[in-house]
Amino acid sequence: MNVNWYLIVSSLVFAIGAAGVLTRRNPLVILLCLELMLNAANIALIAFARMWGNAEGQIFAVIVMVVAACEVCIGLGLVVAIYRRRLPIDVDEIRELHG
Amino acid sequence: MQTSAWLILIFPLAGTLINAFGWRVLPGKACGWIGTAAIGAAFIAAVATFIALQDRAEDQKQVVFVAWDYANTVGVDGKISILIDPLSIFMALVVTGVSTLIHLYAVAYLWKDRGYARFFAYLNYFVFSMLLLVLAANFLLLIIGWAFVGAASYLLISFWYRRTTATTAGIKAFVINVVGDVGLVIGTFFIFRHSHTLDFLGTFDSASRDFAGHQGALTAGLIFLLVGAFAKSAQVPLHTWLPDAMEGPTPVSALIHAATMVTAGVYLIARMHPLFELSPAAETVGAVIGCVTLLIAGTIALAVTDLKRVIAYSTMSQIGYMVMGVSAGAYVAGLFHLMTHAFFKALLFMAAGSVISAMGGEQSMDRMSGFRRAMPFTFVAFIVGGLALAAVPPFSGFFSKDEILTDIGARGGLWWILVVGGYIGAILTAIYTWRMIFRTFWGDPCPEARDLEEGHLYHPEAPFNPSNGEIEDNDVGFPGPEHMIAERSGEMKIAMSVLAVLAIIGGLLQIPFVTDALGHFLDPTFADSNLDLSPSDGLVVVGLILGAGLSLLGIWIAYVVWVKRPGTSTAVRERLHPLYKLFVNKWYFDELINAIVVRPFAWAGRFGQQTFERVVVNGVFVGGTTGIVKAGSAAARALQNGFLRAYAALLVLGLVGVALYFLLQSS
Amino acid sequence: MNLSILLWLPLAAVVAGLILPATEARFAALLGSAAALVLSIVLLFRFDTGKPGLQFVTNKVWISELGIHYKLGVDGLNLFLILLAAILFFAAIAWTALRDWERPRLFYLWFGLAESGVLGALMAQDLALFVIFFDLMLVPFYFLGGGWGDTPNRVAAMVKLFIYTLVGSLLMLSAAVATGVLAQGPGQPITFDLVQLASNARRLPVGSQEWIFLFFAAAFLVKMPAFPVHGWMPDGYKAMPLPVLAVFSGVLSKVAAYGFLRIALPLFPDAAVHFQELILFIALASILYGSVLAFTTRDTRLILGYSSVAQLGFITLGIFSLQDTGAQGALLQAFNHGLVVAPAFFIVALLAARAGGSEDLRDMGGIAFRAPILAVLFLIVAFANLAMPGSSNFVGEFLILLGVFNSKIVISFVAFTGVVLASVYTLRLFIRAMHNRVGPHVESREISLTHGLIVAPLVALIVGIALYPQLALHRSQRSVQASIREAKALTQPAREAQR
Repeated sequence: MNVNWYLIVSSLVFAIGAAGVLTRRNPLVILLCLELMLNAANIALIAFARMWGNAEGQIFAVIVMVVAACEVCIGLGLVVAIYRRRLPIDVDEIRELHG
Repeated sequence: MQTSAWLILIFPLAGTLINAFGWRVLPGKACGWIGTAAIGAAFIAAVATFIALQDRAEDQKQVVFVAWDYANTVGVDGKISILIDPLSIFMALVVTGVSTLIHLYAVAYLWKDRGYARFFAYLNYFVFSMLLLVLAANFLLLIIGWAFVGAASYLLISFWYRRTTATTAGIKAFVINVVGDVGLVIGTFFIFRHSHTLDFLGTFDSASRDFAGHQGALTAGLIFLLVGAFAKSAQVPLHTWLPDAMEGPTPVSALIHAATMVTAGVYLIARMHPLFELSPAAETVGAVIGCVTLLIAGTIALAVTDLKRVIAYSTMSQIGYMVMGVSAGAYVAGLFHLMTHAFFKALLFMAAGSVISAMGGEQSMDRMSGFRRAMPFTFVAFIVGGLALAAVPPFSGFFSKDEILTDIGARGGLWWILVVGGYIGAILTAIYTWRMIFRTFWGDPCPEARDLEEGHLYHPEAPFNPSNGEIEDNDVGFPGPEHMIAERSGEMKIAMSVLAVLAIIGGLLQIPFVTDALGHFLDPTFADSNLDLSPSDGLVVVGLILGAGLSLLGIWIAYVVWVKRPGTSTAVRERLHPLYKLFVNKWYFDELINAIVVRPFAWAGRFGQQTFERVVVNGVFVGGTTGIVKAGSAAARALQNGFLRAYAALLVLGLVGVALYFLLQSS
Repeated sequence: MNLSILLWLPLAAVVAGLILPATEARFAALLGSAAALVLSIVLLFRFDTGKPGLQFVTNKVWISELGIHYKLGVDGLNLFLILLAAILFFAAIAWTALRDWERPRLFYLWFGLAESGVLGALMAQDLALFVIFFDLMLVPFYFLGGGWGDTPNRVAAMVKLFIYTLVGSLLMLSAAVATGVLAQGPGQPITFDLVQLASNARRLPVGSQEWIFLFFAAAFLVKMPAFPVHGWMPDGYKAMPLPVLAVFSGVLSKVAAYGFLRIALPLFPDAAVHFQELILFIALASILYGSVLAFTTRDTRLILGYSSVAQLGFITLGIFSLQDTGAQGALLQAFNHGLVVAPAFFIVALLAARAGGSEDLRDMGGIAFRAPILAVLFLIVAFANLAMPGSSNFVGEFLILLGVFNSKIVISFVAFTGVVLASVYTLRLFIRAMHNRVGPHVESREISLTHGLIVAPLVALIVGIALYPQLALHRSQRSVQASIREAKALTQPAREAQR
């Protein structure tokens, strides 16, 4: 199968993720969309790995998954912390660090 | 000889240090006696050096001792070195001798003052500085001594430092002295530029070669040296500090402002005579200023009513004679007058101090009268000092003043104008001196004098400042709960008696046609002088008779005006009102200096502080620089708006931009 | 002797102090600075006066691609300034150790870093290394002033100071890079070694020398500070704690003056001669403006601050007289001024403590009454500050003015006004604080033993160097002559032609 199909799927998933990140305001959903984006990248990586027939792309994909897991841990931790302090669960409202 | 020469300096320094470090533990009058002993020891050392010097051959009487390198670098040869020659030893003898007596006087006079130890530490430091000045063998050390003397005088003038009048007078004296120091430094630079050495003897030896073709530089240098001399010797127009300096305790006035410090300028000119003789212009400037000063000071002394200030203006006037003399080449005569003046002026100040003590600190002659019977010893001392100052034969001042005038006369030509000025000054001297004596000692006794006649010394209820009469909040300063007059204190009596004797017989050293002891002694220093001032016998005789006549005439005028026909002075004052106003306002020198120096600087300071600093420095320079940086950072800050989605959008946009770029590149 | 030990010891000590309890941190800093002081005294004794060039050189390649070396060395130019820095930091740290500070470990960490930074700037013999240290030494003062300062608006003041001086530093950085690049001849490796840059083979063309010189001069003049770029000084001085200010004013400004002698004159002699009159004019303006403002302001700190502007003006004047005497005097004066201004700031702290916390002259007066020892110490410092003959400051000023007199006579005449004004403002400070009637909130009491033990040795040093300035002159003579030789040689033919 042509690698192009994989890439088209990958870029579609990526675009959906990016659009979600840009448009949604709930941090939980933003995290989900981020996951989508990462996985889109994973698809592309594995497709290329398969194309060249070596394992490096797969290794990258595994690393990305590890990073994604870490990121979700911290992200969800932040969401829980925000929830506990009864702050609005809305990324536009949480902007104390502005310059 | 080397040891004794250094000891002259070491003893006063040791006295200073002992008093400075021991002020808390030394009991009673110990500080005073230590101070006196230190100066006495220095006097003995000076005598020993003098004897050793006398044993040397005539052409080997100028010896330099070097202690250590001070600033000996890149062509500048600054060393700690002293020059022992007849001139410096003469000065050292006068300074230490008179100072010892003044210290002795102060032991009693300042007793019970809170700052007793401090006073003697300062006084010893002053003598040390003065000796450093006269013994210095190079310009650098001379300047150091010069400035030390100024600092010591500042410290002593503002000795009663809680009086605002005293501290103001102190800062004025110090600043004018610094102006003098600067003059001295610039003068040194001019001379050093061509001589390439700071050493006196080295400079003098090659002076005629070094300055051949550099006449202008030499004259400029000498005139700057004269600025230094004028500032220290209170010559016009740098004299305004001296009358104010009378805020200090009376022994200070005697020591610094009569006997020693103010004569430093005279010493300087005498020391620099090989250079002055190469520059007639500088000589003339010195002599003319001396003459102008003696006349101006004499007229002011006629008008002021503060007892000590009269003596101060008289000092200025007498220094004017000396400056005129040494500038005109009458070195021996000028130094002779320096010595006799030290004797009788110190005596006058001591006597005045005794009177002021009896008045409880009051210095105005308007409130004094009739002290003749109450204070017989002081009265006699004052009379002796007054006769010597008025140059009545055979008192010492007669011979010395006369010698200056006849020596200048021997130069002939236009120099005669100065001689005439000198004789006018002589009659003024006699008038103001005896005005002071008549007003203080003749007439009906004032309440304080009557108190004293009844046997108790007047103590004011509360301490007050004699110059403006305000009651003081402090226990610093004269008059304390106990204070001394000469009649009741052995130390003061001894000091004054010795000075009185010296004031009478001091003239014996240099009687025309009879003795020439001083001239002979000083000869090795002035051997290189090209001027030969030997007035003809006739001139000398005429001078003697004229001098004696004028001083007696002056005393008679004073007697008529202030004793025989009281009220004459008021009539004269009414008649010559503008003149009186000029004199009593001291020729408006203070106002002049205020207007052309002090006010512009103060204005510039205020302008800088209030306007320039705010608008230009902070506004343009700092504001401009930090403004640019702040604007840049504000722009960067605006991007950090805190909207997470905005950041993400920016990221995506950037990514898209990069992707597009590569796509376009590849196609 | 290894200079690296002396350089990093103060920092190492305070870093080690981080593990100590907070109340004990001061001892680590004290120990470090004391050790540095001892080492610098050893350095003074082991310094060989007869040897030309650098001594105790440490030279290691640091960033080989850029030709930057970690090169330290000592000669007559920096020997006494290193000693000065070690003395003043020790005194200032001892002074701060007498009271408690908030967050003491951090406070002393910055203090130790400051000392290492200053020592590094003084010892560095590589242009890049110098620039790094020159900027590094400013950073701790920003935090010391901003974190522990005396005024409410201290952070704003320190930001102003920091930005303002940093702009100068950035100019210098670009100039330093340009120097290295432009001096790189064909086939030669790039180098920032000062000795090599100063050699004729590496001399820059006159055109580029000029702008590079101006960039360096800007950095140095801001740091000094000189008129009219002293704007950061009033607020910055008011904001810093006094012991910090004592070292800041005592040492940092001298590094700038030292920079002229170490870098600007040997590397850019043509430009130095070209801009001689400009710099002399700035120096002269600093003297007059500083003096006049010093006797108008009523803030005791600012009197000393503006007096420093004037004194640094004298130092610059001496350097740019381009005469041996002037430069020699300037170097001596740099040492003297540091030695005088630090105890002066300590004394201001004591005065303020006696005047109810106010540093305003109007609130003072009569403090000498029950404090004779304090009065004497202050008096000696005051006399030294106004360069009274007999003090070492006078020798410095004498040589400076002699140098200027021989090169630009008119400028020297105007500069003498500064000498007179110095006596006015210094005595005004002394009299209005110590003498006259007792101020409304003044409580006159004697200097305490601990404070006395810090101020008195400094005053003793002032007296000592006054008795024997030759100590410093003798050791610096050769290096100073070497530093200005090129520039001086360029002025000579011009003068011959004028005659």
